[in-house]
Amino acid sequence: MDERLRETLSSMMDDEADELSVRRLLSHSDQHDVRGQWQRWQQIRDLMHEQHSPASAIDVAAGVRAALDGRPESRSEKTSVAEAGRSAWRWPVAAMVAVALVVGFGAGAGWDGDALPGSRDIASNDAVPALSLPVAEQQVGLQELDDAQLQQMRQFLLEHAQHNSVGAGRGSVGYARLVSAGNHY
Amino acid sequence: MTFRCKRRHWPALLLACLLLGAMSASARGAAELPAGDSLAMEWLERLGPALNMTSYRGVFIYARGDQVHSMRIAHRYKNGRVEERLVMQDGGNGEIVRKGMDVVCVLPDRGRVRLDEVIPSGPFAEAFSSQLVPVGRWYRPTLAGQDRVAGYDVAIVSLEARDSHRYSHRLWLEKETGLLVKSQVRGPGEEVLEHFQFTDLEITGDISDDELEIRSQGREIKRKLDHGEPRASAVARMNGWTLDWQPEGFVPAAAPRSGKGKAVAFSDGLAAFSVFVEPMGRLKMPSGASRVGATTIFLREVSVNERPFLIAVVGEIPPATARKVADSVRIDERLALEWVGS
Repeated sequence: MDERLRETLSSMMDDEADELSVRRLLSHSDQHDVRGQWQRWQQIRDLMHEQHSPASAIDVAAGVRAALDGRPESRSEKTSVAEAGRSAWRWPVAAMVAVALVVGFGAGAGWDGDALPGSRDIASNDAVPALSLPVAEQQVGLQELDDAQLQQMRQFLLEHAQHNSVGAGRGSVGYARLVSAGNHY
Repeated sequence: MTFRCKRRHWPALLLACLLLGAMSASARGAAELPAGDSLAMEWLERLGPALNMTSYRGVFIYARGDQVHSMRIAHRYKNGRVEERLVMQDGGNGEIVRKGMDVVCVLPDRGRVRLDEVIPSGPFAEAFSSQLVPVGRWYRPTLAGQDRVAGYDVAIVSLEARDSHRYSHRLWLEKETGLLVKSQVRGPGEEVLEHFQFTDLEITGDISDDELEIRSQGREIKRKLDHGEPRASAVARMNGWTLDWQPEGFVPAAAPRSGKGKAVAFSDGLAAFSVFVEPMGRLKMPSGASRVGATTIFLREVSVNERPFLIAVVGEIPPATARKVADSVRIDERLALEWVGS
């Protein structure tokens, strides 16, 4: 997504976008990308405004298009219901494809792991350095930090623990993380 | 006639239904729950209510990296209200008492750490639960067996990460109540990164009032959990920065107020990470990753309009994920300007 589209999207969030740029956005080739960005921003904005809406998965594009074309909203709802009905009948075919895919991949993976535990170990050993190498290049050793830096690290740990101590619904684990962060490092 | 007609169609209909059912079941099963592990999911569904609605007392240990802590806890669910008291068993003597949404912390001042920051201060309690996160989509739940923990029979639920963006979890749930009595966060090589476990536990409805009273001397700090200060909603749109990428399944779960910067916490239902974006002050921080058990801190410095900013990603996620998140933070130029002014 280029800068101009991103700009349009963000002004849409502020209700400031003009029609032309909205149309351009809607005709962007990668609607998946556009929708993803919109949803991420929307989620964050909802949170800022404390409106938790379960609507994050609703396709906004269709609604906006309908509004631009001057169609009443109800009509687009009707079409989407009809489409839902139709797609329910088509669904088994899609499901079959999905099953084939999943079975194809899933069976292979499961079988590998069970039959050859040794090979799985090697695989995961390979994966680990691949995953952590680029990060390890710039490990921050705690002993290299001075007091002020250590305290800043602790502060981050604390605030993070605090965000999901009670909130994460993990009860005691959350508290424990909190206390652990508050204590020595 | 009609009857016969119907009957003749029955087998076909039945077959179609069965096929459909089988297909939908296997589609769902294969995509989310491997056969037979809906049981594990049922256990998980009990976990949330059990954490709050079970009354118990005990001592648990918590270990990450080379740190081990133990705490004594009394937890009571009475008249629809959660009351609990936690007392630190080592280090300085502090305690946390919660009655419904009121939290009081008594913590010894340890000098270097500002302990009033320890208190859960935001409207977080409901933030996570209001998001119905389909844990099964990001973790593969399986019933991994049975065991005994702190004298209670438990079921072991394994939640294996479906991708490399998150860690795997293993939960030990008490069979009668579903209470979490032990848990582990595991890395890709099955190594245990974080460990929580009750060593002494009594599940009982008989918890007296004075077990829930503060007894330590010290500075008391009180907070309410449900009401945060009204947020300046217009504080630069989207908090002044956005994420271009976040690991699938993680949704914004809380927008805590950070000291000077702007932070948002994300959760996938099990794991969480927080993203801090702050103007770099006089204190310079190094760039890179640091790990304590399952918790990663990734720091990165960026410049926007020649203003240095510090991006910190902290959470129970692998270093590579934290790094990717940190790399995808985009800071609004407007925000940069705002901070220059302040």
